[in-house]
Amino acid sequence: MSVQGPSPSLGKVLITGGCGFLGHHIVNLLVQRHPATQIAVLDLRTNLNRSSSSTVSYHDGDITDADAIKSLFAQIKPDVVIHTASANLISKNEVHYKVNVEGTQNLLKAAQEAGVKAFVYTSSASVIYNPKIELKNADETWPMVTGDDQPEYYTATKAYAETAVLEANRTPASFLTCAIRPAGIFGEGDVQLLPKMVTAFRKGQTKFQVGDNDNLFDFSYVENIAHGHLLAVQALLHTHKMLPTVPLDTERVDGEVFFLTNGQPVYFWDFARAVWHEAGDRLPLSSVWHLGQDFAFFVGGMLEWIFWILGKTPNLTRQQVKYSTFTRYYSIDKAKRKLGYSPIVDLDEGVRRGVRYILEKEEREKQKKGQ
Amino acid sequence: MPSPMSLIYYTFHPQELRSIIQWKVWHNPVHERDESKEPETLRRCFFFLDKTSRSFSAVIKELHPELLGPVCLFYLILRGLDTIEDDMTIPLETKEPILRNFQDIIEKDGWTFTENGPNEKDRQLLVEFNVVVEEFKKIKPAYQTIIKDIAKRMGNGMADYANNAEHNINGVNTIDDYELYCHYVAGLVGEGLTRLFVEGGLANAALLKRPELMESMGQFLQQVNIIRDIKEDLDDKRRFWPKEIWSKYVNQFEDLFKPENKHLALNASSEMILTALSRADDCLYYLAGIKEQSVFNFCAIPQSMAIATLDICFQNHDIFKKNVKITKGEACQLMIESTQNLQLVCDVFRKYTRKIHQKNNPHDPNFLRISMTCGKIEQFIESIFPSQKKPVNEKASPVSVEQAAKAKAEAQEAKWDMIYMGLTVFLTLFIISGSMVFIAWMAGARFDIALDQLKDQWRALMGSSGPSDSGGASGHSEL
Repeated sequence: MSVQGPSPSLGKVLITGGCGFLGHHIVNLLVQRHPATQIAVLDLRTNLNRSSSSTVSYHDGDITDADAIKSLFAQIKPDVVIHTASANLISKNEVHYKVNVEGTQNLLKAAQEAGVKAFVYTSSASVIYNPKIELKNADETWPMVTGDDQPEYYTATKAYAETAVLEANRTPASFLTCAIRPAGIFGEGDVQLLPKMVTAFRKGQTKFQVGDNDNLFDFSYVENIAHGHLLAVQALLHTHKMLPTVPLDTERVDGEVFFLTNGQPVYFWDFARAVWHEAGDRLPLSSVWHLGQDFAFFVGGMLEWIFWILGKTPNLTRQQVKYSTFTRYYSIDKAKRKLGYSPIVDLDEGVRRGVRYILEKEEREKQKKGQ
Repeated sequence: MPSPMSLIYYTFHPQELRSIIQWKVWHNPVHERDESKEPETLRRCFFFLDKTSRSFSAVIKELHPELLGPVCLFYLILRGLDTIEDDMTIPLETKEPILRNFQDIIEKDGWTFTENGPNEKDRQLLVEFNVVVEEFKKIKPAYQTIIKDIAKRMGNGMADYANNAEHNINGVNTIDDYELYCHYVAGLVGEGLTRLFVEGGLANAALLKRPELMESMGQFLQQVNIIRDIKEDLDDKRRFWPKEIWSKYVNQFEDLFKPENKHLALNASSEMILTALSRADDCLYYLAGIKEQSVFNFCAIPQSMAIATLDICFQNHDIFKKNVKITKGEACQLMIESTQNLQLVCDVFRKYTRKIHQKNNPHDPNFLRISMTCGKIEQFIESIFPSQKKPVNEKASPVSVEQAAKAKAEAQEAKWDMIYMGLTVFLTLFIISGSMVFIAWMAGARFDIALDQLKDQWRALMGSSGPSDSGGASGHSEL
C-alpha cells in the first residue's frame, strides 16, 4: 500500500470523543498535517482540550441519542468518522453497554445513511486479553476473549463494538471501516498511566519492585496512536477512490483490525523507573527492594482484606501485582506492512514530554494558589 | 599451566570448570583438516594462522573442506594488510601504494615484505608472504575474485585513514565516522565471508540481498572489541570511541579515565554499548541464513562471545582501568551452546540481554533506550521461536451482547437437557428391571431367600457371626 505525502485535506472529518485524551491529540495532528480538513468534534462536553484552529467546530452531544446523532450527521455530512469516544473505565456495566455498543451502532447507522466513506474505530488491545495467559508478541490472529471468559465487562463491550464496526464494512459497498487496537496509551493529558506513576513516586513507592522485571510490556505514546489513526483514514480513503476494485488481501485495510503500539516493548519496571527519574527520583537501583511475585500476591491479598474491613483501598493489590509482573506485548507488523506505520516519537521522548507536562501543570497550579 | 589464582577461581566456580572439561573432552569438530594431503606451503599458511590469530584459528580449522583453504587465506591476506597499516615505523610513502594495490600484490609470485619494524609481532607472515600468494593462486577463481575485491576496498579504506592526519591525532570524530571505520575493518570482512559462504553453497543466497545483516555481523564484533579495549588502545595512543559520544559526558578523552569521573565514564560506556547492542538482532537474523553446521559454528561462536563481553563491560568501571575478559569457563560454555543450533544461540542472546537489562541504571541518560533495545532483541527471538502457542478458540467467543446472552442461555439449556436425559435413562431402566422382577416374582421366584443370603454374606464380610444358618439351610431344602 503506497500512501503518498499528506494531502492538505481529508474532506470533512467527524471525531467523536475529540475532547478526550486520545481524541484531542488526533484533532491536533489532523490540523497540523492536513490543514485544509474541516473537523467536527462530537463530545459529551466540549469545554476541555479545545483546538484554537478555525477549521475545528465543536458539538455537544451524546452518541447514545440516536436521533440527535442522525440530525448531526445530516448537518455535518462527514466524509470520515473517527470514533474514539468510549465509556469511562469505572462506569457501571449498563453505561459500558449503552455507550460502547449502542453508541457505536447509532454512529454506524447514521454514517451508513449519510454516505460516509471511511469509519475508523478505536478499539482496545485488551480484547484478546485473558487474565490467565501472558501475551508475547501476540498478533491479530489471536481470538478475542468475550462473554463469560472476559472478566472486564468494559473490554467485552469494546470487542462487541469492534465486531459491529467490521461487520458494517462495505454495507453499502461505498462504506469502508477498520478498527485500531492501541495498548497502554500515555502522554500529555493522560489521566491514567503517568499521573498514577508520578503519584506512586510522591508516596515513596519507588523503593519496591514486584517480580523479577523480565516482563516486557507495551506502552504507546499518544501522538503515535493518533498518527496510526490518520494513516488508517488515509488508507481507507485511498481504497475508496479505487472502488469498486477490492484491494488484494495482502494490502487490504477495510474490514481489518490493527494492533498499534510504539513497537518498542520495555520491561515493566523500567518504564516506571524512567517516569520516576523524569519526575525527579534519584533512588539508586541498588536500594530497590525486590518482592517475589508470589509473596507480593499473598501480601496484596491480605492487605485487600484488611483495608476492605477499614473501607479503603490498599497501595498494593493482587491486581496490581498481576499487572506489573505479566508479560504483555504485541506484534505491530500488520500495521507496519499495511498502514506504513512506524512510531514518529520514540518511547523515551514520549516519557519526557508526558512527565514534563504533569510537572508544568503542577507548577502552574502552585503559582495560582500562591497568588 | 594454570595459575594459582585460576585454581582458586575454579574451586569456587565448579560449573565453569565443568564446561571447560566438557568442551575439551566431548567437542568433535564437524570437519577435520587432513594435514597429510596438504602441500608444504599450505601447511605453512596454517602455521601462520595459528600464530596470528588467537580467537579465529580454531573455528577456521574446523570449517567445511570446500571453504577451509579460502577462508584461511582470506584471513591471512587481511592480516597482512592490517600488519602494514598498523606499523607506525613504515613511512607513508611506502605504506600507501602497498595498501592501495594489495589486490594485485596477492597475485605476484614470490612477493614478500621485510620493512616492518622489529617489534611488529606478525612481521614473519609478511617476510614469508610468498606462501600465501602461492596458495591463493590455487583456489577457485570465484573465491579469488571475492577476496581480491574485499582486499582492494579495505586497502583503500585503510590508506584513506593513514592519510587522514586529523584521524591520527584526534581519533574518530562522529558516530558515522566510527561506523565507517568499523565497516572498513570488519563490515567488509562480513561481506567477503558471506559471499564465500554463498558461493560455496553453504549459506542462503538471500543473505546477499540484505547487506545490512552481514554489515551488522562485522560491526557488532568490532564495536565490542573497541569498547572492551579502550584502556589498551589508550596505552597504545589510539582512540576509537567517537568524540560525538564521549564529548557528551567529558571534555577531554583522557578525562574518561579519571576516578572522579566514574559516573560520566560509565554513562559514555553505556552509550557505546547501546550502539553495539542495537546490532544484535540483525546478527541472529543473519545466523538463520546459514545452511551448514561448521559455517554456523564459525559465525555463531564470536557473536556469542561478543554479547557476553558486552555484558561484562556494561556498568563496569574496570574497563577504564584494565582489560576486562570473560573467563575461560564461560567461553567454553558459550562454545558448547554456540555449536548446535540457532535456538540455543538465541537462548544465549536472551540470557545476556536480560543480564544487561538487570544492571541498567535508571539514572543513566540512555536507560530507556537500552531497555528498548533489549526488548527489541527479545521480541525478535520471540518472533522466530515463539515460546507460547496461540490459544485456540474452541467454542468461539461471542461477538455481541445478544450472542453472549444467547450462548449463556444455550449453555443453560444444554445443562437441563443433560438432566432430563439422565432422568429418562434412569426411569427406563427402572421400569424394565422392575417389570422383569415382577414377572420373575409372578413365576414363583423367592426373592426373600436371596435377600437373606445377601444379608448373611454381608455379615460374614463385616466379621460378625449372626444367626445365619436358618436362611441358608431352608434355601437348600427348597431347591
